[in-house]
Amino acid sequence: MTLDWAVVWQHRDALVAGARTTVLLAVATMAIALPCGAIVAVLRLYAGEPVRTLATAYVEFFRNLPLILVVYWAFYVLPILTGLGLSPFATGLAALALNVTAYNAETFRAGINSIRRGQTEAAMALGMSRVQALRRIVIPQALRRILPVLASTWVSLFKDTSLVSVIAVTELAYVSMQIRAQTFRVLEMLTAMAVIYWFLGYPQAKLVDWIQRRYAVTE
Amino acid sequence: MDFDFAVIADHAHFLAYGVGVTLALSALSGLTSLVTGFVVALLRLYGPRWLRPAVILYIDSMRAIPVLVVLVWAFFALPIVTGLTMPPFAAALIGLTIHLAAYAAEIVRAGIESVRPGQTRAALALGMSRQQILRRIILPQAIVRMLPALGSLLSITIKDTAIASVIAVPELMRQSETVAGQSFQPIEVYTFAMLVYFLLLFPVTRGVDLFYRRVAHLGRS
Amino acid sequence: MTPIQPPRTKAAGAKIVRYNGVVKRYGDFTALDGVTLEVHAGEVVCLIGPSGSGKSTLLRCTNGLESLDGGDIEFEGARLARDERGLRVMRQRMGMVFQSFELFPHLTARQNVAEGPRTVLGMTAVEANRRANALLDKVGLADKGDSYPSALSGGQQQRVAIARALAMNPDVMLFDEPTSALDPETIGEVLGVMKKLADEGMTMVVVTHEMSFARRVGDWVAVFDAGRVVEQGPPAQIFDAPATERTRDFLSHLGWSG
Repeated sequence: MTLDWAVVWQHRDALVAGARTTVLLAVATMAIALPCGAIVAVLRLYAGEPVRTLATAYVEFFRNLPLILVVYWAFYVLPILTGLGLSPFATGLAALALNVTAYNAETFRAGINSIRRGQTEAAMALGMSRVQALRRIVIPQALRRILPVLASTWVSLFKDTSLVSVIAVTELAYVSMQIRAQTFRVLEMLTAMAVIYWFLGYPQAKLVDWIQRRYAVTE
Repeated sequence: MDFDFAVIADHAHFLAYGVGVTLALSALSGLTSLVTGFVVALLRLYGPRWLRPAVILYIDSMRAIPVLVVLVWAFFALPIVTGLTMPPFAAALIGLTIHLAAYAAEIVRAGIESVRPGQTRAALALGMSRQQILRRIILPQAIVRMLPALGSLLSITIKDTAIASVIAVPELMRQSETVAGQSFQPIEVYTFAMLVYFLLLFPVTRGVDLFYRRVAHLGRS
Repeated sequence: MTPIQPPRTKAAGAKIVRYNGVVKRYGDFTALDGVTLEVHAGEVVCLIGPSGSGKSTLLRCTNGLESLDGGDIEFEGARLARDERGLRVMRQRMGMVFQSFELFPHLTARQNVAEGPRTVLGMTAVEANRRANALLDKVGLADKGDSYPSALSGGQQQRVAIARALAMNPDVMLFDEPTSALDPETIGEVLGVMKKLADEGMTMVVVTHEMSFARRVGDWVAVFDAGRVVEQGPPAQIFDAPATERTRDFLSHLGWSG
């Protein structure tokens, strides 16, 4: 068994491009999923029926499906639903966004609900409206609990971008496996792929730890 | 735009086989990762000092590396290193265990650490040994506290088995791909797969919720 | 024997709050079963009775935190509004102090007190802070303005909560077991502030287990049991010569011996 690790270095440009796409996918997904998740959470908490049930159904549905299936499904269904020919990147982004929005909605909802009812009552006793109480009293406190969970969701998202490789989006996993197929350097490329993800993901995981320590809530 | 769901009926056996493999892989990897995670957690908490950094490195690495990468490595790269060939199911089992055991270890550790130190002190005051305390006082409470997180991990396990389709394990996702490719009816097939997964996963999360609520008082001190 | 109704000392004042046959149910449970009571201007009305007898529920109905199932409540001559908008306006004229203080943990003491004037009354930060400082001084916490609630003792937090309610210049102060969650050492400082308010002529409705406070500071005492007012009168009568069996039971249960 002879190993040729130089292969990794030779294809560094492609790998860097792949890593960049991975980051881009993750950032773009969060950019969509944060506001959308907030909207869905608000709908779940404060809207009337049937909107409230629909929002809950959406969240429960996407939290109980494997993401890889959603990716495939999006690839085949979205062109038909929207009538557009979406690029693999856009399709992957859509699938990821649908998924992470559902998780964020749950995070926001749980965060807001975790604030004691007494806080809203105290605010209303002062004469604030429900909206004012939410904006000035509940949300600032909820954010503290929401942030660590969002950080954790981000790290998961970063790893989940690898799943859109199955629809040929040229992110890191796809690029690595393409190089493997071309060069037949299986062990080298797959190990390199794991190591690159490690270097990208490890600091993020440690950052999440720090955030969770700093924002730890003690009642 | 018309759909013909008869394709599902035509391939019922094939798809049902996939469901079976999904269930088997979920159950087995759930079990192995739980046991492994348990051991890892105990090693981290009570094992030799020098082992701790290695354990922490393992756990944090699994937080950084995607499941897909681990599975692919287990199937394609591991045989090169070990010289043994492995069937896809075995590779998937190994890969999933390696990845999920890290999360299980963290859940176990958090559960154990969440039991109030006063409990240990009270038990010591009664004259119990450390081992007895762990077995009879700490673990029973800790296990109750771990249940919600473990339930969530089970849910993740089932979802992750779908990724094993990438290394040709004939679980539901893979079978669906095959049928979709042959029949040119991907929408019907994948919609069906979505329904099956949802029906599989939804009760798991709800069930764990309900079970936990029944036993939660046992873990409160 | 029907009790002789002793004169109600402050009955000449305007009726700030009138409860007429107030009914409140939670499912099958009737928390308030036809409560009729009046609170006059400048009076300190104390609501006493066993836990679960409806005292807190009545208070929470007063400012609309709970809705009524029967009867009505009048505030300053007008029926309590049913819509949120109307309730909000009325709430600005009532101050509420909670058993669990409910200070806003992400704001300093001064910001807590200034929050109502700023957000609800639309005061500028400068004006609101000025009022906040004056009130913090009034409750004896002038030097704690920049402290966060987590750095304050229970008694200090509750005093800030009182200042916060006072910042809205209410016509009546509603106290829901203000000292029940406090350590015995700090109860005194809170009761002291409440007495000061009473001496200044504030109209107060106080749900409390502090019988000596009710005896010394109260102008009128209503005894609750199972959602009803079983007896009401001046403290002297209630505590020294209770007319009903229930009241006597309750007081002896508490070990009250005058």
